[in-house]
Amino acid sequence: MVRVTTLALPAPPASRVDRSGEPLIRAAGVWKIFGRHADRIIGTSDAELPRAELRAKTGCVAAVRDVSFDVWPGEVFVVMGLSGSGKSTLVRTLIRLIEPSAGQVDIAGKDVTAASQAELRELRRHTSSMVFQHFGLLAHRRVIDNVAFGLEIQGVSKAERLARAEKVLQLVGLEDSANSFPDQLSGGMQQRVGLARAFAVDPKVMLYDEPFSALDPLIRRDMQDEVIRLQHETGKTMVFITHDLPEALRLGDRIAIMRDGAIVQLGTPEELVGSPADEYVENFVRDIPRSHVLTIRWIMRDARPGEEDGPRLDVRTNVRKAIPVIAESERPVCAVEDGRVVGVVDRETVLTAIAGESA
Amino acid sequence: MKVRAGGLVAAAAVVVVLVTVGSAAARSSACGTVTINEQAWAGSTANTYVVKNVLEKNLGCHVNITKVAEVPVYQAMADGKTDAILEDWGHQPQWDQYVTKQKTVVRAGANGVKGVIGWYIPTYLMKQHPEFKTWKGLKGKETLFKSPESGSQGMFLGGDPSYQQKDQTLIKALGLNLKFVSVGAEPAQVARWTQLYKQKKPVLFYWYDPQYLNATYQVSRIQLPKRFKGCLDDEKLGGDPKKYACEYPSYTLLKFMSKKFASSGSPAVGVVKRFSWSNADQNAVAKMIAGDHMNPDQAAQKWISANKAKVNKWLGK
Amino acid sequence: MAVAQPAARAVAAPAPRPWWRGRAGLVVAVVLGIVISYFGWRNDVPWPASLTWNSLAAHLDSFQTWLSDHRNLPHPSIVFRAFNGLASFLDDIVGWLTSFFFKLTWIGTTVLGVLVVLRYGGRRAALGVAAAFAAFAAMGLWEPSVRTFALTFASVALALAIGLPLGVLAGRSDRFARAITPVLDAMQIIPAFAYLMPIVILFSVGPGAAVATTLIYAIPPAIRITALGIRGVQPNTVEAATALGATRLQTLFKVQLPLARRMLLLSVNQTILFALSMVVIAGLIGGQGLGDVVTSGLYSNPALALLAGVAIVIMAIALDRATEAMAIRTDPAHRHLTEGKKRRLRLYTLACAAAVGLAVGLGYAFGAGSVWTGWTGQSWLLRQVQSVLDYVQNPSTFVFHITNPIGNFIVQYGLEPLRTFFVATPWPAMVFGLALIAFLVSGLRPALIVAAMLAVVGVANEWTPAMDTLSQVLVATVLTLAVGIPLGIWAAESERARRGMRPVLDVLQTLPQLVYIIPFIYLMPVSIVPGVMASVLYASPVVIRLVEAGIREVSPNSVEAAGAFGATRAQVLLKVKIPLAREAIMLGVNQGLIMVLAVVVIGGLVGSGALGYDVAQGLQRSLFGQGVLASLAILALGIALDRVTQGRRRRRLGDLA
Repeated sequence: MVRVTTLALPAPPASRVDRSGEPLIRAAGVWKIFGRHADRIIGTSDAELPRAELRAKTGCVAAVRDVSFDVWPGEVFVVMGLSGSGKSTLVRTLIRLIEPSAGQVDIAGKDVTAASQAELRELRRHTSSMVFQHFGLLAHRRVIDNVAFGLEIQGVSKAERLARAEKVLQLVGLEDSANSFPDQLSGGMQQRVGLARAFAVDPKVMLYDEPFSALDPLIRRDMQDEVIRLQHETGKTMVFITHDLPEALRLGDRIAIMRDGAIVQLGTPEELVGSPADEYVENFVRDIPRSHVLTIRWIMRDARPGEEDGPRLDVRTNVRKAIPVIAESERPVCAVEDGRVVGVVDRETVLTAIAGESA
Repeated sequence: MKVRAGGLVAAAAVVVVLVTVGSAAARSSACGTVTINEQAWAGSTANTYVVKNVLEKNLGCHVNITKVAEVPVYQAMADGKTDAILEDWGHQPQWDQYVTKQKTVVRAGANGVKGVIGWYIPTYLMKQHPEFKTWKGLKGKETLFKSPESGSQGMFLGGDPSYQQKDQTLIKALGLNLKFVSVGAEPAQVARWTQLYKQKKPVLFYWYDPQYLNATYQVSRIQLPKRFKGCLDDEKLGGDPKKYACEYPSYTLLKFMSKKFASSGSPAVGVVKRFSWSNADQNAVAKMIAGDHMNPDQAAQKWISANKAKVNKWLGK
Repeated sequence: MAVAQPAARAVAAPAPRPWWRGRAGLVVAVVLGIVISYFGWRNDVPWPASLTWNSLAAHLDSFQTWLSDHRNLPHPSIVFRAFNGLASFLDDIVGWLTSFFFKLTWIGTTVLGVLVVLRYGGRRAALGVAAAFAAFAAMGLWEPSVRTFALTFASVALALAIGLPLGVLAGRSDRFARAITPVLDAMQIIPAFAYLMPIVILFSVGPGAAVATTLIYAIPPAIRITALGIRGVQPNTVEAATALGATRLQTLFKVQLPLARRMLLLSVNQTILFALSMVVIAGLIGGQGLGDVVTSGLYSNPALALLAGVAIVIMAIALDRATEAMAIRTDPAHRHLTEGKKRRLRLYTLACAAAVGLAVGLGYAFGAGSVWTGWTGQSWLLRQVQSVLDYVQNPSTFVFHITNPIGNFIVQYGLEPLRTFFVATPWPAMVFGLALIAFLVSGLRPALIVAAMLAVVGVANEWTPAMDTLSQVLVATVLTLAVGIPLGIWAAESERARRGMRPVLDVLQTLPQLVYIIPFIYLMPVSIVPGVMASVLYASPVVIRLVEAGIREVSPNSVEAAGAFGATRAQVLLKVKIPLAREAIMLGVNQGLIMVLAVVVIGGLVGSGALGYDVAQGLQRSLFGQGVLASLAILALGIALDRVTQGRRRRRLGDLA
């Protein structure tokens, strides 16, 4: 099976995420097979069968196949795939909304898969929180009561939970709609309520299950900005499910691409676009303007003698942002990492890179 | 939630006040309350309302009327929920069970009405075919009674499923080319034969007397084979059809009381026991009620005021 | 041959199969086979006596005797005393409610009813309730109406108290739902006549027994609709609550029940209607009220029985509209109450309560009676109804010359030949034929069930009456579909037709079965016809509504697409809507059959004979065993017919699950 594909070339860019400590979420060998006697399949040769064959042979559907990954605190981890790729099932197995058939999930140092019902409830109440594609709001409650719902479940007193809900509503810019009912709001606003409800319990981990796919493109963009903003302000760890690659690239620190229940590639946006692991991923990223995602590290060439004194740019600079500098400079631009020139970029390399996009 | 709670409190307050105000209701005199069951047919309505008015006007009883079906009413009497029925056409299994074995129901004598069950045809037909006086005359002429339901045979119109009958077996025993057709409950049967009657068409049907309709329609009974010793009436028992080949018995219609009522010492018990009148009396009252749609109480009072002597006898005067 | 061909064949459209090779053709072939066996061995192969269990009826009879003997001992066992206590508890509830309404005086009762509906259901519904009160007064049926309402109210409250929790269980547990479904089916199909006598032995007669009988019939819809409501709550809201760490109880009370509110209130509404439809039967065992008036009036005063039937319908429609309006108007998801509005509503409630109190006070001050006894139009109404009945009954009018030939025709060329056919066909041909049809239409399991059910009918010694009943059920069903499907399509296509039909359908669905047989007794007193007509009238509203809903629910996209290709309205209907609504129409056929079967017993009272006659006689001539066996046969027949016609619908659903 395809495991986490680490690229030999070049080393991943330094990230704003600190990966030195323990991961907050750790999924190891997670399986989910739907159907009778599903547990008997794992570990046999049947488990290696392609999905359609497995279904024909046993009547079972393997939704998630041996998935492993780690997510560190403060990271935005995106799982991307087409519908039916198992991504929504995967996120549900993390907090056992769907029981995994095999494998282990740890969240914040706790073995979720071994947790009792009570422990699991505690986890869901205080550690994690989820935003759903179809919002899942309660039509018979006001917006503020919806936001306070998680706190109500925890048994927080009415006055306190309303006060907290009000604050969260301000955070998502819905303070004026506190007394409205869900059906009086637009889809985008309803999902803000969904966001607020998830934030209100102040979780360590936020799980998003295709939260914006039911929204119009323009509103979707707004909401993505909103998530980025909230993430910056609160520093929450997020697992974000989407079928939309641009969305994945915008939000994700790292992205896992799933196909038929398994991860085919896991890496930073640049890694995916710069060196797709296989044809499947390549097909996905083909239409993405490479200059928007890649840094100059991906297009630089070795410096020839005498070129090392040109204008300098950090090697992590986005190609698109580097273009004006390169265009203005008569000489090749030096890519610098840790104060050392590691390569140069000139007009020719940039043009080749951009031309490659339209090919 | 609060909105509703407010409403509930207010409603509850109203209820409490009303119940306390209203519970000081009136009670009846020494006779107390007597519950009589009215059966579905008009003759029973006549009995019930005449006795009701006698008890209310002369003894100051309060009379309730229940309308429980014929068989369940025995359980009602066993439980003391119904005190009396004034006309029963024969429920041997219930008598065995409630009167003989359990002794929860007691007999209250006959109501004076003689019940006759038999095969009837309209009188105009009898005049055209005098041979129909006895069943033998029907032989070979059965197809006269042909109907859409009976195919090539003649139609015999059966009675209400709840009534005492053995016609299917009788037809077999007598070797008649008739088909037993049930049109269901009595109103349906009446609708069927009266419609044919009005068209002066031939019709042969299960019927009985006393019946208030006999005052409106002229019907004649066909003589069935005479009763013989060991002659059977309960079709359910099965066996040789020949054993059933006799006419229906003439019924002495009976009254029954609940054990509880009978031993209550109420003056109404005596009236129920002594109540007895003739076929003509009952038909007269039933006709007023069912035929002329008079209010049953008014009809009963009309008859009572015209028959003081009989009423006095019931009262033991 | 075709090594090189598969690709080409995959593209080519499959050749249309000739119809006689399709399922319809095979079914026709099976029917032909049965017909051939009829002509070959007519009357030669009756159900063998060696395969019947004759003593079963006697055993049942002696069970009833045993029950009665032990129940009526001077010191009955604790079980019977418990039933006694339960019976008097039920009696007391109804009695207390009745006397409560009486003590309010007729003014107070009216004001209470109208204001409660006005406060929670709005002006229209309140107007309906006021009109209903006026109608009861005008018909001179105030007292029986109040009694019937008290009986219904008590029955519905108890049915909900039992049905809602069980419905919640059935909504949350598949296993419980599967276990309870056949029980609910039996409770609804077994005719009340069959269990009336045991009920009377256990509960005696009176309102308590009436409530017990009503409960048996009214609990199933409460359970079913509640379960449906719980299941209908969007899974994502439940999931959201679970993800927030809600316990099962929290999810139930904070999410599932509030969101299932509409369905829960619908179950209240349906329970009321089901309870009201038992009012007449309850009249047979001392239920009092309008049911009494119907059952006793049927013999001595049919016009009054009809009038009481109309009163039941008016009550049903008023309650239906009132509960529906209250359900919609009190829905927090659509009302969007602010604090200010809430305060005003609270004042409004208090004002209404005060008005009721005032009305009661005025009632006492002016000495108003507990029931309305003032002017009524009863005698006038009775005269009118009677004159209509007399008119249709009169064989010298032109009505008779229309109805009589129709009735005779149906009997002579429809019912009688079919009855002969069903009764005289060799039983193995019938059993295997019907099972085969079930196999073709619905699959193997249903086919086995059909065979088993027909065997039950035979063993219970009810083969001949059951076949007789089956023939009538088929004729009635064909007529029902002939009426229901076109009307359903029309109602789906024309909003005006739908609105015009609605009140008529409501009346037909709520009119007690016994009541609308009355006119037919007079109109076509040809034994089997009134029962068939009544079945058609009773069953066609369901068919009309299912067909209409099915066609309306056809996705507008498909209709639009067809329109874009220039299809005419008729083409859209025939080529898009009806094919897509096929499932709903099949369901209509299925439900139509079951509803027709439900009228069978009542049909027995008006000459349909067969199983209905046996059941009715079972109660009325104390042939308990016979009644139970005939009821069992009706149940078996119902299950068999359901399985034959259920189609592959449920199987497909099973695949999805």
